[in-house]
Amino acid sequence: MANFNDFKTRLKIAKDKLKNNPNNINSNRNSSFMGSAFKLGTELVAAVVVGTIIGFILDSWFDTKPWLIILFFFLGSVAGILNVIKVAKRMQEKE
Amino acid sequence: MATNPMRQFEVYRIGPEIKIAGVDLSFTNASFFMLFSAVAICAVLFLGTKEKKLIPDKFQLISEIFYNFIAKMINDTAGSKAKPYFPFIFSLFMFVLFCNMLGMLPYSFTVTSHIIVTLLMAIFIFIAVTVIGFLKHGFGYLKLFVPNGVPIVLLPLITVIEIISYLSRPVSLAVRLFANMMAGHTMLKVFGGFVISLGMLGGWLPLSFSVALTGLEILVAFLQAYVFAILTCIYLNDALNLHH
Repeated sequence: MANFNDFKTRLKIAKDKLKNNPNNINSNRNSSFMGSAFKLGTELVAAVVVGTIIGFILDSWFDTKPWLIILFFFLGSVAGILNVIKVAKRMQEKE
Repeated sequence: MATNPMRQFEVYRIGPEIKIAGVDLSFTNASFFMLFSAVAICAVLFLGTKEKKLIPDKFQLISEIFYNFIAKMINDTAGSKAKPYFPFIFSLFMFVLFCNMLGMLPYSFTVTSHIIVTLLMAIFIFIAVTVIGFLKHGFGYLKLFVPNGVPIVLLPLITVIEIISYLSRPVSLAVRLFANMMAGHTMLKVFGGFVISLGMLGGWLPLSFSVALTGLEILVAFLQAYVFAILTCIYLNDALNLHH
């Protein structure tokens, strides 16, 4: 049981240290911020790519080259911006 | 020799060629590293849960940290309704994390730097989430594409945009993980090549960069696994609780 009591005191010391160090929570937050920063870029690009691909497929179906690919490129861009706004909103809500 | 920075991404066959119905199913280095990470995950978790001590040893500690981390993440992002999906998200996170981390070892192979691997996982998540959404809400799930308070005139346009944005989810999920891993590993290799070509005289600068980049890559490897898992949770949240 000596081992256990030793552990108890060590745990207490560690907890006290954690209490006196407000930076601890902050550093944890920083890494999740970096994660969200990585998220934003691809969110924008992916929607543009998907929109353009849909336009390309519809074009070859209906034989309307190049009008649908142009239309869906812009729709994809709008969707991408919308995605970024959604993610940013979610990030703000979390705070 | 190994001067080409893209050589590290080459997939080659290990052992005999296996062909079933014209499909090449040979065991490759990619399959080896996938299997290796799966075995490593099982080993860590097995060692961690073998004897449940009051004072945890290293393996038990690390398993408990992973468990708590994922459980908290699911609870925060998708709510208590997502509890049944814990095993799936936990395995997903552990698999991506271990593949990324094992890829950081010298002479190893990063499975997640191939878009086919990440895209397959992303498409599976996408289909699963869509099926769950339709099972939970029936055709009401289609309301996801029709946001509240939009004028009737704009409705067709908004719906198309929402559908594109929904379809872009697996692409962004897959491309993010793949691009981060591939870019990071290529950069490491390029700086490594500079060390060799500049020699003893000028090689110290790229070497120090290499060391710093390795640290950054380990951070990115963890972060990308985290982002992959948390985005799965967010998509699951959309499917489980409509009108967030």
